[in-house]
Amino acid sequence: MELDDLRRQWQRPEQVPPAITSADLQTLLRRQRGGLIEKMRRNTYWEAGVASALVVPTLVIFLAYNHGPLAILYAGSLALLTVLMAYYYYKVIRLLRRLAETTGSVRGHLERLYAGLRQLLRFYYRLTLATLPGALLLIYGFFVGKELVRPGGFRASLLAEVGVGLLLMGAVLQTAVVYGTRWWMQRLYGQHLDRLEGQLRELNDSPAPAGTAAS
Amino acid sequence: MATAPSADFLAALHDYQPLVRRVCRLYCQDADDRQDLFQEIVLQLWRAWPRYVPQPDAKLSTWLYRIALNVAISNLRQRTRRPASVSVEDEAWHLAQPVENSAYEPEETAALYAAINRLSDVDKAFVLLYLEDRPYDEMADILGITQNNVRVKMHRVQEKLRKLLVHF
Repeated sequence: MELDDLRRQWQRPEQVPPAITSADLQTLLRRQRGGLIEKMRRNTYWEAGVASALVVPTLVIFLAYNHGPLAILYAGSLALLTVLMAYYYYKVIRLLRRLAETTGSVRGHLERLYAGLRQLLRFYYRLTLATLPGALLLIYGFFVGKELVRPGGFRASLLAEVGVGLLLMGAVLQTAVVYGTRWWMQRLYGQHLDRLEGQLRELNDSPAPAGTAAS
Repeated sequence: MATAPSADFLAALHDYQPLVRRVCRLYCQDADDRQDLFQEIVLQLWRAWPRYVPQPDAKLSTWLYRIALNVAISNLRQRTRRPASVSVEDEAWHLAQPVENSAYEPEETAALYAAINRLSDVDKAFVLLYLEDRPYDEMADILGITQNNVRVKMHRVQEKLRKLLVHF
């Protein structure tokens, strides 16, 4: 039996399924979806909500109980961090919304998904790698600020020790972060990227030149 | 859901529900997976519906095939290994009811469905559109490849099926 034979059976009139009412559709659409892109969207909204709930009150409380130029400097850093985070979540949500579009051709859709997912993961990977050095710089800045306002004078040797300590600790932690992040992202997203890549390769396989038996 | 579904969307869904169900039937062997996929496709259709603009040279069915296949193929979810509540052979038996003037035994039909199930998701798209009797130019439009590529790939898919059928 070949496909041509099956086609005759496939197209025979089948039992008409019951009509979907508006109420059925509303119930269906309320159901939580489990696809990767949908999960990433939900997680991003959650993260953005939690981050806002933490950072904004922290900024307000910090300014309420701390005064002076140093406090303003730290508050400014926190505010800048808030703006950067807002921009990050805006970009991620916008990209995920584009990835959720399904109206184009199959190849276009797969290409968009593959490129978009890679872009997102690259962005996330770079952000993760930059977080620890950024945090260590802030910590070092805190010590420098404390020394600058210290009545007894600036202790350069202490700052040097703190600097070396942070550098060493940073090197160890950053190595762990690099390998850990790569492993975690491969575990979460690697199979999806591999599958998309394979599907695109299947679709993009060049046909045999015209004039051969296959064409 | 912010707004109720429009009457024209429900009407289109009613008309094309069999099409969507046939896509789900080809891509999922498990009844629960089939229902999941159906719901996902309907959701995507509903989301895309406000942006659908009828074109004089394009059919609604082409738009529907694109969305249904995009969802079925790029269904990026953890593939859980669940024992199929309906095996391919059972389904094929159900589908392969003796048809008047059918020259083929149900076992042959079951074997062909089992072979189709072994194909990749991309190859299944070719099979589906072929079974749906879509012309090559429409298949090319839906898949986003050239007509020549469609012809070559259909030939390769049929070759693959012949090889797979040897084992069934």
